[in-house]
Amino acid sequence: MAGSFAIRLAASTNEQKGSGPDLVAIRLDYVAKETGSNLVRNITLTLASVLTVAIALAFVGVSYLIGVGIEGSFGGLQSDVRMFVYMNPTATQDQIDSVRKALEKSPQVDSIVFLDQAETYKEFKRLFKDQPDFVESIDPKELPQSFRIKPTSTDSEVVSAVGKQFEDLPGVYRVEYASKLASDIKRSLDTLNGWITKFGLALIAVSVMLIFNTIRTAVFARRREIEVMRLVGASNWFIRLPFIVEGMVQGLIGAIVASGLTWSFDVLWKRNFVNQRGLDLLNNITWESSNLWIAVFTVLTVGAVAGAIGSGVAVGRYLRV
Amino acid sequence: MIKLEDVSKIYKGEHIALRDATVEIEKGEFVFLVGSSGSGKSTFLRLLNRAEIADKGVIYVAGKDIGSLPSYRVPYLRRNIGTVFQDFKLLPNKTVYENVAFALEAIGRPKSAIREAVPQILDLVGLGRKDGSYPHELSGGEQQRVSIARAFINRPLILLADEPTGNLDPATSVGIMKLLDRINRTGTTVVMATHDRGIVDTMRRRVIELDRGRIVRDQARGVYE
Ligand SMILES: Nc1ncnc2c1ncn2[C@@H]1O[C@H](COP(=O)(O)OP(=O)(O)O)[C@@H](O)[C@H]1O
Ligand SMILES: [Mg+2]
Repeated sequence: MAGSFAIRLAASTNEQKGSGPDLVAIRLDYVAKETGSNLVRNITLTLASVLTVAIALAFVGVSYLIGVGIEGSFGGLQSDVRMFVYMNPTATQDQIDSVRKALEKSPQVDSIVFLDQAETYKEFKRLFKDQPDFVESIDPKELPQSFRIKPTSTDSEVVSAVGKQFEDLPGVYRVEYASKLASDIKRSLDTLNGWITKFGLALIAVSVMLIFNTIRTAVFARRREIEVMRLVGASNWFIRLPFIVEGMVQGLIGAIVASGLTWSFDVLWKRNFVNQRGLDLLNNITWESSNLWIAVFTVLTVGAVAGAIGSGVAVGRYLRV
Repeated sequence: MIKLEDVSKIYKGEHIALRDATVEIEKGEFVFLVGSSGSGKSTFLRLLNRAEIADKGVIYVAGKDIGSLPSYRVPYLRRNIGTVFQDFKLLPNKTVYENVAFALEAIGRPKSAIREAVPQILDLVGLGRKDGSYPHELSGGEQQRVSIARAFINRPLILLADEPTGNLDPATSVGIMKLLDRINRTGTTVVMATHDRGIVDTMRRRVIELDRGRIVRDQARGVYE
């Protein structure tokens, strides 16, 4: 194999003994050449699948960012929290611990999250980020620590009855409840989220199908070559690999375009809404740059995987070796 | 080299294309398979390179039971078996050189080895100066020579030929037979299905006759009928 790159796809064993896969050396330049010429040969179909992948994944990336933004702007409401138990800033650790025990014991409490002063201050800063003077004036030590509680029931009367049990415990400052409006918004957002997820999955499924179709067409267009390759003893993977790579390249190119679109969305959104005053609802919807990276990484991975699945199935169905 | 024990092939669960065939072919033999159309000649050949799998019986090629070969091993079997067809199966968008080189590329041979081997084999089949031509620019006989070059470039142990002269006129056929004979003299076992009475009667090699899937005659230095 002098002078050529070789991937060893399978462990080398002694061919004479016939005891396992022989080493399959596949030249990278060959795969690159075949993949390239296939992509060009079928330019219309290739463009259609690349474009579909791009649209599907841009939708996924953008809705992920908006989702993160909305979740952040609605704070605790997003996680079905319907009740807040605020402690006095002066409450002792013993008092906090006994309230926690009482909450944990209560059968009407599904789950609790405790926010200490540091976390409370972080959230406080975020909620009032456009009033820095106000933030400055607050000492973190003055902020009340709190429990966020998800009750087992969603009925507001049951919830306030539950809350009453904790109002008089030592160290408790006040019990508050999520408003009915907030929980309604939350429920609508959950429904919307479900629909967006389904739509995103449907778009990805369509992308996989288009890649599948492109690869099936490519297999058909090259059936003479495939027949000859089989005849002269090309290994199964040697025949399949260029098609699989072709599918993955289509998925990846689509994903790269989608990443670009998601990134532009990030830039435009932040420029037009987040750093502007006056748009109270929209400028609260924002996300960290780490979320953008998660979106891009996800989009690229899903693109490559969708391409591999689409072409893998096409090759498995139409390329009998 | 090739051994069939009680081999039957039944297409689609009913049509019996080969019945209880038992036959042994030694290394270096030249064997004609004769019989009317539909008698099972192609099926016989297709079983040998595992283009088909026997429904009954055992087939040994070079000592190996090829029926029990896992599918990922089949390509390695085929590297030892060259195949030639009536319709040549050349790739129309590749030149003579590229068509032959393709057989080596497909099994991952390095470029340097390909550059050395292809001109040699093209000289052997008498097409040294046609390497840049496309198949449609060649006569039928020349196209068959290209396909033989492609089948033989790996120096296979066995060459299977399914009516290789079926599309050629008698004079051209003689040239192809001379080429196959030369290949046979290098030690390659040749099994050739044919309808061509003249060729069989001139060559006087072993003849296996099939009739509706049965071997009805197996004759050394035989004739067509
Ligand atoms: N792939 C197939 N499916 C079903 N029947 C087949 C197939 N190939 C061949 N046959 C049948 O098997 C019999 C033998 O065919 P074949 O081996 O091609 O004979 P020959 O090459 O001698 O003409 C014929 O009757 C043919 O119709
Ligand atoms: Mg036939």
